Amino acid sequence: MNSQPSLLEKVFAFVDERVGLKTIQAKMLNEPVPGGSRWAYVFGSCLLFIFIMQAVTGILLMFYYVPSADHAYASTQYIIHEVDYGWFLLSYHFWGSSAMVVMVFTHMSQVFLWGAYKKPREMVWLVGLALFGLVMAFGFTGYLLPWDQRAYWATTVGVEIMDKTPVVGDFIARFLKGGPTPGQMTLSRFFVIHVMILPAALMGLAGLHLFLFRKAGPAGPFQGSVEELKAKTDYFFPRQVWKDVVAMAAVFFTICSLAFIEPVQLLEEATPDPGDYHPEPEWYFLFLFQMLRLKIFSGEFGQFLAGVAIPNAFLLLLAALPFIDRNPERNIFKRPIALVGWIVVMAGILIFTVSAIINREFLD
Amino acid sequence: MQPKLKSKVRCTDREVGEVTRVIVDPLSREVSHIVVGRNGAGVPERQIPASTIEAVTDDTVELRAPSSELNQFPVFRRDEYVTIHEVEIAHLEDHLHVQPGEVLVPLPELERNVKRRTFFTNLTHAIGALIALPLVYPVLRYVMKPMYAPFDNRWLKIGNVNRIKADDVGVQFKFKKTVKEAFMPEAEVDKNVWVLKASPPVLEEVYKSKDMEFRDHTGGVIWTNKRDVPYVAYSGKCPHLGCGYKWRNVPKLGRQIFLCPCHLSIYDASGKVLDGPAPRPLDPVPIRVATNGDIEIIDVEYKAGTKVQTRIV
Repeated sequence: MNSQPSLLEKVFAFVDERVGLKTIQAKMLNEPVPGGSRWAYVFGSCLLFIFIMQAVTGILLMFYYVPSADHAYASTQYIIHEVDYGWFLLSYHFWGSSAMVVMVFTHMSQVFLWGAYKKPREMVWLVGLALFGLVMAFGFTGYLLPWDQRAYWATTVGVEIMDKTPVVGDFIARFLKGGPTPGQMTLSRFFVIHVMILPAALMGLAGLHLFLFRKAGPAGPFQGSVEELKAKTDYFFPRQVWKDVVAMAAVFFTICSLAFIEPVQLLEEATPDPGDYHPEPEWYFLFLFQMLRLKIFSGEFGQFLAGVAIPNAFLLLLAALPFIDRNPERNIFKRPIALVGWIVVMAGILIFTVSAIINREFLD
Repeated sequence: MQPKLKSKVRCTDREVGEVTRVIVDPLSREVSHIVVGRNGAGVPERQIPASTIEAVTDDTVELRAPSSELNQFPVFRRDEYVTIHEVEIAHLEDHLHVQPGEVLVPLPELERNVKRRTFFTNLTHAIGALIALPLVYPVLRYVMKPMYAPFDNRWLKIGNVNRIKADDVGVQFKFKKTVKEAFMPEAEVDKNVWVLKASPPVLEEVYKSKDMEFRDHTGGVIWTNKRDVPYVAYSGKCPHLGCGYKWRNVPKLGRQIFLCPCHLSIYDASGKVLDGPAPRPLDPVPIRVATNGDIEIIDVEYKAGTKVQTRIV
């Protein structure tokens, strides 16, 4: 019975003695999930998975991509048409960004509907909101990089919207563009923001998010007696980890399928003359785009309202949410205002997005 | 008071053993059971619910039950539990005081009687600020370098008026503009303006009986568009949010208009906003037409989305 430990076991024991691997592993995996594991809890893990894959594919894209006005387009075309599986990695990265936005909305909705932003999880929610902002910033800075017409015009309009911020708007717009009009400086700036500043910020904040989440503990279901919860409680590993991994695989195969079915195709190279192209942002900014078309948001003040004031006021409201909504009731069916609010916001985004898509055919 | 490890356990009639372990409820984070180890070899430990505890003093736990009933409590099974070091339960240890006494390490000699602790803290912050503050201005200048470029007042040849066949019809003139940005090699970008041979009423609508002056960043006049010259050139940039607009025949309106496909601003031939979110009319740029019909413009650009024109290029 007393066989000698294998080399692998010896190496593990060596590291464990110095690092405390077993304790770390136990601490990470043995977290009681009140009321037991659920499919509803997979979204946070999925986000982490999507982000890691974005980082991996993003790093791979940088093997060929050159962030300069005279090479960005050519190097992206080279990735798509010349490099083996370049089209796939780029398309995965492209669809991954959409998946990230979808997953962020799902994750936030779940937390909102479960009332999991309430005391003692206010900090988790606040850091989560900051992460939401980072994800949107990733999307915005990312699609300038291929330097095609879509990229150029989405950036032109997006930066013009930020320009409408009172007092600092002009500075922000010039800072992002690196001048009065989009050009090489804009590309350099968006590149460094996309590949250095945002990833660093996201890693830091995601770490903080997880730390705060573990510190506060999982919220668990919004109904059920203590005895019921206790009877159903299990640890993060294995049942929740299993659900998470299955969900990640589903996300992975969905993104792969989209990359195969609808691979990225570039438009003409970026230039200040749009030609026949009708500028349009990425689908997750379409609702904002459509909102800006409304008559009530016309004129200088209207633009400020739709482009700056309303989105920021909404984010501010979300940030203030756990401090306004102090009722400890978490059951969404006993929180009518929250439920109706969520439905209205989601329906609003859906309606504006769909009407932007319908509007397309009237333009041709 | 919470029952401590190693405390003596007394039943109503006599002392029966000591607290060997404490079990905590992971949800309420309160002590739910104590485990009582009894004197004598081979006697199993019993798991006693906290509700049976009558009183807890510094070193004893008194139970409500007589020693004869002790065997009715379940035998403690170690494999049904994990230690709190192997599991992560938020705030579990915050209000647990079950250790028999404290576990300590000595405070280093040098750390005793340190005065000016606040001074050292502030000094650390001050040195940090000393390193960071002098960097603010250089870094700001560094990133701001290309942000405020001087205006480009070059005249650019864009084509000939013989392309314009009718009055009050927008004709797009595409042209190449050379740009030299920072370290980059000189490059050509595609740009466009819309030129119009305006009929007198449209011309009046554009100029409102006044010549149009164009200014440098210093405020000095660089060019004046005379109100009696029928050719008007509009910057290709939509004054709403900077997209490129088109001259479109709209059968529903029974007329031709300038339409921006982005946010659906609509302008008439004089540049006036007919519909949509645009805050101001289209922006005329400096134009001069040579005797042979060649058109030259200055590619002036204004900030989009503002009621008044603010020149940025």
